Amino acid sequence: MSAAVEPRHGAPAALAAIAAEHARSRRGRRLRGLGKHAILIVVTLLLVAPFYYVVLASFKNSTEIFTYPPKLLPIPPFLGNYQKLLGSTGFLRWMFNTLLVAGTVTLVKVFMDSMAGYALAKLQLTGKRLIFLSMLILLMVPLGALIVPLWALVNAMGLTNTYLALILPPLANPLGVFLMRQFILGLPKDLENAARLDGVSEFGIYRRIILPLIKPGLVVLAVIIFTDQFMSFIWPLIATSSDDLQVLTVGVAALRSHGGADYGLWSAAAVMSLVPIGVFFFVLQRQFLARSLAGALKQ
Amino acid sequence: MRLSPGQHRQLRRQARLKRELTAWLFLGPMFVFFVVFLVVPVVGTVWWSTQAGGIVGGTTNVGLQNFQRLPDLVGATTAIQNTLIFALLSIPPILIGALAISLVLARIGRGAAAYRFFVYFPVLVPGVVAGLIWLFLTNVDFGLFDNVLRAFGVQPVTWLGSDTALGVLAALDVWRNVGYWAIFFVAAIIGLPEELYQAANLDGASTAKRFWYLTLPLMRRILFFAIVVSTIWGLQVFDTALVLTNGGPGTATTTIIFRVWQYVFGTNDKVGFAAAISLVLIAAILTLTLTQMRLLRSRRGDD
Repeated sequence: MSAAVEPRHGAPAALAAIAAEHARSRRGRRLRGLGKHAILIVVTLLLVAPFYYVVLASFKNSTEIFTYPPKLLPIPPFLGNYQKLLGSTGFLRWMFNTLLVAGTVTLVKVFMDSMAGYALAKLQLTGKRLIFLSMLILLMVPLGALIVPLWALVNAMGLTNTYLALILPPLANPLGVFLMRQFILGLPKDLENAARLDGVSEFGIYRRIILPLIKPGLVVLAVIIFTDQFMSFIWPLIATSSDDLQVLTVGVAALRSHGGADYGLWSAAAVMSLVPIGVFFFVLQRQFLARSLAGALKQ
Repeated sequence: MRLSPGQHRQLRRQARLKRELTAWLFLGPMFVFFVVFLVVPVVGTVWWSTQAGGIVGGTTNVGLQNFQRLPDLVGATTAIQNTLIFALLSIPPILIGALAISLVLARIGRGAAAYRFFVYFPVLVPGVVAGLIWLFLTNVDFGLFDNVLRAFGVQPVTWLGSDTALGVLAALDVWRNVGYWAIFFVAAIIGLPEELYQAANLDGASTAKRFWYLTLPLMRRILFFAIVVSTIWGLQVFDTALVLTNGGPGTATTTIIFRVWQYVFGTNDKVGFAAAISLVLIAAILTLTLTQMRLLRSRRGDD
């Protein structure tokens, strides 16, 4: 009996304590939530401020850029820097070259890598482990560390100053094979086994079963390759010397090193360079963020 | 009809051959590029490192002399030194900063997508463009940094002087890469086992204790991976050094790849040295990669 009474007596007190605790923790949580937002807002401002400052400069003429205190809103905007960039430098040509090269590399590589990944994941192949291991070991060796033999090789092939010189060497990067292999290994086996029993060829299985299933992976891979290609610099720098073949990064670097300081022009070039990748990022946010996770997949 | 054992074996061999051939059709295109433009250049670097002369116009074999002379070659040792200091200055703040950001970002509800967008945006800036942007931050006359100092009545600072330029280059790298690892860590944190945290909460563990005794140990492989990979990337710094400071003042920001590039295309007699330094870099990268692989292999054993 007393045992039954006690909880009844105890219950309101305990409930009140729990409720108070809840209220306290809810308030605490809200406060902590605000604190988190405050931290993130500060971090965001620190990371974004440089962009704003350059955008600002790009809408100022050369005297305004040097004026202190600086105008914090570009009103009225000065458009001369952009006119100069688009009218009297090769900017549009560089942009075209970058999109052409990055687009081609991405397209070719998505197919080659997914095919190679399929072979390494599913097909019978002598020396498969060795091939895979050698790709894994060389995964991190950058083009920048290979410029001597690579330039000599491309020169011997007679490819210097051609689009092929820009397109072929990046195709060697094994990261995509690796990611595709992981992706394909994770697929259920039933579908392809059923297809095999029905006598579908390996190519048919790849095209009709594997490719549709790994479509999300292909998009992530395309984003990874395109971005890396968009940013690549040292190889395009040394592989081409003709103005017509300069890609964006090389052209922009040349703006900096040739002629005197033209801060207005430089700022406009920086802003315009970020437009295409910024648009892609905005549209494909999830895939871009997955780019960061591709590293985790390596494990 | 029954097949004799011989015929049987032959048929099996044929089927096997056909399967191998199919596999090679799939692997072949990628494999050819992998061999020609990655394996061959890596091996080629070894050959070039034994040569003296220019990249065009013929070379002579000098054996290991390039490596023997490398330690006395001021240009080479400065470049290696600068690159190591750059890595030491940039990587700790990148990873610690990224971890701090990710701890907050992983547990945020509203606005997560927007924060991620902004935190990640600098990651997508090509090094060349990042270098340009930082010219506008570090300029003595109108740069953002000095204008902020002026606003607080502090004397402007010469940011790209010979003592500070390498530090500024490292800071640029922090700005550009902290978001990459922050997003990477967010995914890792979200994947951590919830039950452990619930148990820790029941035991009344404080936030600091949960971080120190749960999050950090659970993430130690992820962190090790991040240290190795960001080191490998740090050793490759080039574009930002070219655009922001052109390797200077003097040789203050001349990095390994910067020096290789100068040796190959700025002189006509140092291609062997260029290859020798490249080989040192490649060896460092391969060592780091293999350490990483060994660690990952052992993980099945000790978990």
